Amino acid sequence: MSEDERFDSTVSTTCGYCGVGCRLEAHTRDGRVVSISPAHDGPANEGHTCLKGRFAHQFTRSRERLTTPLIRDGEGFRRASWDEAVALIVSELTRIKTTHGPDAIAGLASSRATNEDCYAMQRLIRAAIGTNNIDNCSRVCHSPTSFAMRRSFGLSGATGSFSDIDHADAAIIIGANPTEAHPVVGARIKQATLRGMRLVTIDPRQTELADYSVLHLAPRPGTNAAVVLGLAHVLVRDDLIDTNFIDQRTEGYDTLIELLHAYEPDAVESITGVAAERIEAAAHVYGEAEDACLLWGLGVTEHKYGSEVVQLICNLALLTGKVGRTGSALLPLRGQNNVQGSSDMGALPDTYTSYRSVEDDEVAASFEAAWGVPLSRRKGLKINEMFDAAVAGELKAMWIFGEDVAQTDPNVAHVTHALESLEFLVCQEIFENATSAFADVILPASAFLEKAGTFTNAERRFQLVAPAIDPPGEAKTDFEIITTISRALGHEMGWSTSAEVMNEIAALTPQYAGVSHERIGRKGLQWPVAADGTDSPMLYEHEFTLPGGRARLAALPYKPPGDAADDEFPLILITGRRLQHYNAGTMTRRTLNLELQDSDWLEIHPADAARLWIKTGDHVSIRSRVGRIETVARVTERIEPGHVFTAFHFPEIRTNLLVGSSVDVNTGCPEYKVVAVDVRPVSEEAARTPALAGI
Amino acid sequence: MRVAVDGREVEVATGATLLEAVRAVGADVPTLCFDERQMPFGACRICLVGVAGAPGPLPACTTPCREGMVIDTHDATSRRVATAIVELVLSELPVAPAAHTELARVAASLEVGEPRWRGATHPSDHDERHPYLAFQHELCISCARCVRACDEVQGAFALTATGRGFTANIAVGLDAGFLESTCVSCGACADSCPTDAITEITLLSL
Amino acid sequence: MSRNLVELVRRTHAQRAPTALEVLKAALEDHGEITDEDRREAARISGLPEAAVYGVSTFYDDLAVPRGARHVRVCTGTACFAATADAHVSALRDGFGLDLGERREDGSLSLAETVCLGFCHSSPAVRDGDLIDAGEGVVERALSGALRAAREPDWRSLLEPAILTRPGDWSGLRAALATHTPESLLGEVKAASVRGRGGAGFPAGEKWSFARGAPGAEKFIVANGDEGDPGSYIDKQLMERNPALVLEGMALAGYAVGAEHGFVLTRSEYPLSKPALEQAARQAREQGLLGDDIRGSGFSFDVTVLEGAGSYVVGEETALLACIEGLRGTVSARPPFPAVSGLFGLPTVVNNVETLANIPFVARAGADAYAALSPGASSGSKLVCFNERFANPGVYEVRFGTSLRELCEDVAGGVRDGLALKALQIGGPLGGILPASLLDTTFDFDQLAAVGCMVGHGGIVGFDERTDMRELARHLLHFGAAESCGKCFPCRIGLRRAHEMFADGRAVERARLEELLEALEVGSLCAHGGGMPAPIRSLLAHFPDELGLT
Repeated sequence: MSEDERFDSTVSTTCGYCGVGCRLEAHTRDGRVVSISPAHDGPANEGHTCLKGRFAHQFTRSRERLTTPLIRDGEGFRRASWDEAVALIVSELTRIKTTHGPDAIAGLASSRATNEDCYAMQRLIRAAIGTNNIDNCSRVCHSPTSFAMRRSFGLSGATGSFSDIDHADAAIIIGANPTEAHPVVGARIKQATLRGMRLVTIDPRQTELADYSVLHLAPRPGTNAAVVLGLAHVLVRDDLIDTNFIDQRTEGYDTLIELLHAYEPDAVESITGVAAERIEAAAHVYGEAEDACLLWGLGVTEHKYGSEVVQLICNLALLTGKVGRTGSALLPLRGQNNVQGSSDMGALPDTYTSYRSVEDDEVAASFEAAWGVPLSRRKGLKINEMFDAAVAGELKAMWIFGEDVAQTDPNVAHVTHALESLEFLVCQEIFENATSAFADVILPASAFLEKAGTFTNAERRFQLVAPAIDPPGEAKTDFEIITTISRALGHEMGWSTSAEVMNEIAALTPQYAGVSHERIGRKGLQWPVAADGTDSPMLYEHEFTLPGGRARLAALPYKPPGDAADDEFPLILITGRRLQHYNAGTMTRRTLNLELQDSDWLEIHPADAARLWIKTGDHVSIRSRVGRIETVARVTERIEPGHVFTAFHFPEIRTNLLVGSSVDVNTGCPEYKVVAVDVRPVSEEAARTPALAGI
Repeated sequence: MRVAVDGREVEVATGATLLEAVRAVGADVPTLCFDERQMPFGACRICLVGVAGAPGPLPACTTPCREGMVIDTHDATSRRVATAIVELVLSELPVAPAAHTELARVAASLEVGEPRWRGATHPSDHDERHPYLAFQHELCISCARCVRACDEVQGAFALTATGRGFTANIAVGLDAGFLESTCVSCGACADSCPTDAITEITLLSL
Repeated sequence: MSRNLVELVRRTHAQRAPTALEVLKAALEDHGEITDEDRREAARISGLPEAAVYGVSTFYDDLAVPRGARHVRVCTGTACFAATADAHVSALRDGFGLDLGERREDGSLSLAETVCLGFCHSSPAVRDGDLIDAGEGVVERALSGALRAAREPDWRSLLEPAILTRPGDWSGLRAALATHTPESLLGEVKAASVRGRGGAGFPAGEKWSFARGAPGAEKFIVANGDEGDPGSYIDKQLMERNPALVLEGMALAGYAVGAEHGFVLTRSEYPLSKPALEQAARQAREQGLLGDDIRGSGFSFDVTVLEGAGSYVVGEETALLACIEGLRGTVSARPPFPAVSGLFGLPTVVNNVETLANIPFVARAGADAYAALSPGASSGSKLVCFNERFANPGVYEVRFGTSLRELCEDVAGGVRDGLALKALQIGGPLGGILPASLLDTTFDFDQLAAVGCMVGHGGIVGFDERTDMRELARHLLHFGAAESCGKCFPCRIGLRRAHEMFADGRAVERARLEELLEALEVGSLCAHGGGMPAPIRSLLAHFPDELGLT
């Protein structure tokens, strides 16, 4: 029912694009979504949203939507019935499991799917198949955050909520561009700066928020650790620390102090290229503020030492006591709408729900009891390891659910080789894509406007997702697909609704004990949620979730990134996002957002452009150690000399062909942000025109 | 502090406006330029209420509460003037506002029918250059909610009031449309507009 | 005003960048029009977003009207109307073959209306570039390109000694620095009951108290020289003949309030005002009376003189501040009041220039002497001016409590050419109309209010027996509608409808008109829409038969 006579119904749900988690009202008519408006009472968005949540929903009825199962037929595919597709999947997986063992099979859960879908997927992989080879795309974005925050504080998530931004006197944003990638949070930060919040931005590019900052630092890509260590050095040197807090609530201070001696501003300047005075000024903005927030994104995590940098960022809050109170929060900007949740739900090779190790007997036993099957205690493969194993012939089958690894993972040539090497590949998707081109079976799945369940946003907030329309044609909800196949594999999950899935999750996960669809309501619940439903907008008010209740200060020195510019590849490529599109562009490229931006470009500084005889509009080739692509150049002063930038939303450009195999040392998160490249005009004529030669 | 609205006492926070007090007791007065996501603006002037001891009706959205204020949402002068203003607003549009718009609902709640004024109306001016947003300038009543949404909520500052007096209207960027401005297509303007002057193109064809 | 936009311009102001309005005015001076490139440049320099700059460029008359190589502006103010019933306007339109606001195809000539040029003593007035001519034969001279500078009006005090016409000599400031603390000076001004001379009559001392008590170290004094009232040229003469007195008043306000900087906003219709004030400021600086550590007192104060761009409502204090900030001159809801959150969001005192000109005497002679200037009436003295209909038009300093008959017949010499006086409008276009039968009314605040009139700004426009009152109503409402800032609904739409009632040639439905007047009075955001009904009510009360009512 809808109050507005133009609509047949209005359904309240949560956006399926980014980790902000805007609450939306989806208005339907004749079985289609005709309009979406932001919910005024949305806790994360308060009546606002961005062009993706608001307008980019027409993809749900795109003619390109998968509407029937497809089975490989020679070079192409033929339509098949569900029964046939399921039967084929069951017979192949069973064959491979019998012949090669369950560890020869792996699954990728979708970080766009609901918590319930991801939980079901990991249950299927663990209970129906019998392996821990399950991962999700947080691997390639914020897995370093998860690792690091568990190491430093104990829990894998933001320490506060977006509302802390409104109460902060200062903030530092490192390696994030929220006005493009998390627009509603970006807008919130911008408004805060106009009210006087003092912002420091740290990014090799002059992002939009850099224009609203009191200080912008542009370090060389890959040197974040040195910057953060430099800030810590100045905080200690200039007595901006909270010794009480350090004494009572942390450990490891002495070791850290030893390390910090080496990171005086001058030393940091030679590593990072950031002037010493600016390091000092930035430290003072943060240190002198009453309350301050720290925000970061993939510009911190998608690096060889990303997981170490996050720990060093946590150090800043611990040294100054700026954590565990309103206005002083650490807010990693999670990318996908449910990347937080998919990991929380245990769609990871080494943990069950709430990051409890698969090697932990007690935890594993609780799941064995609930599921009625024995479970492996052996850690499974991470995504990049899955590809290596496929190429090596050890991994025989994959079930990829809602992730286009052939476009978004690094080292694309290696990925496609891996996919080709598999004996059996199932893709559960809403559109055909680069990855499904290699599939043996494609299952037509559902979009966020077509399913029920929950997403968990970057504030650790469970929010409800409700279907406004049905999946098209014969496509099914992911819940139905996974439970049906599990049943066919011999493991009946016993749920008839997604709410029941959440009840099981709550029953088996102390940290989510009080979570239920009913309790989540319109305001959501931020975990941990006690059995009586009390949730946690703020963490660590009194103690950290580590033995002894103390946080860990990390003494980790700066080490250079996995790639570096040299004579053959003299520029550093940074990859990232644009406002109008989302990641692989699977959804947004099938909406009118394409009219707003229909292709991408390479940002290049005037000095480099002049040297290379490139001007805006020229076609250029970009070559790295592992691949080559072409795109159009745009000269701008918003990037430093020596760096170039482009996004990865367009499959025609295939940006990730360039990204190599350097990954974070602890988590395997790829180093998308430091790729040595060579750029030159595609047209030889441009290179031979003397008039364009630099002076 | 405590104030009374239509005889009912209510506790309100320091700095609360009369409108907040009115809504806190579950009463209401009509508004057109007010949007809870933005700071009060004071342009439409139809939220007038009677306040004991005041020389005349006061605009509820911009007047702060004071301890002991006695507020009357049924004050006769306030209602009469609000009705006259809404009739004026209806008279500046070349067509009646669509039934679902906030303006139509406010007019209905005040029982304002077809306006008796037969004067100038806004000239027709449609802009559908943007893939999602349509601007029908003749429906604009210059409440500036779109401008303020873009300023105070999104922070893109893509819209502005233009002109003066009766010919005042709203323009995007340097009056060259959404695509040529700093607009980020968030739709906050369309969401706030009470007359569908700015609205989604898809909704126009429903 | 938008808190964000004010914050953005505050940041660039702190770096001494010009405002968007200043950049646009300079572009107009340079090449006669404003292009999108000019707007982008204004945005870049001023920190104001491009869209907002576009909005500014469409608000002010000077910026919005196309200019030819020769730009002629004809005054359509009330004094000029009283003189010719706007015949001079039609004559110029016909003579040039251009409508108001039009420019010739070849760009050689443009014609525009302007309100008001401040030459009401010799209406009608016409401006060509910066040359203003007025009086007998001005239309012919305009059409033949032979305009000459108009004669300046008389400037005289009826008080002995003169107070406001006495050239400012900074003795008040010197006395205050020597004998007063800021608090005691403030007390003196409050005791003197100095009421605002700009129209609202609000006690200056109270305003200063609020600002003094507002939190924040940086505060401003703003002198409102935006005398837009058609028929009034008092502030013009004050700023141009006695600028030092105004600046001295500002410095005294700064001393009492705790402000170190002041702004004067003058009108672009008065091209001589800004240069006169700037020269007086330069002289004062040379003598150490403005600037740092004035006369070793520890008190610093200096001023910046700015010019508007053609908008009557900018005389309202919140709109005035917006204009200084380079924004659209629209009115803001109050609270917050400027005394607490004003220019650039900081505590600001806004006073009319004449109000400020009263202060040096108070500082020098004290509150009692000030009250004694008009015994038995409001304290202090008042500048009034008369229009061309009178035999001796000019600016006169008079006492409160004088009768209007004495002012019109003795001081101004009665209506010229043997014509009978029909009515007066006192205090500006929002002032009530006083029929000749009420000429014995005392010139003072309460007494005029009792007959539906006001002291207002002090301009006195006389209408002789030839004036058609329905035409007067139409004239006033045309002005009101054209000058509406466009923000609040009753004024934006209501004044247009009111004008249509009188302009479309049909009978005016009295009941409908009364409804409309009530909506304007009760509902308007500021005194522009709120005050416009006053003269119409006077006409309804005193000249109903001429209005064509049903």
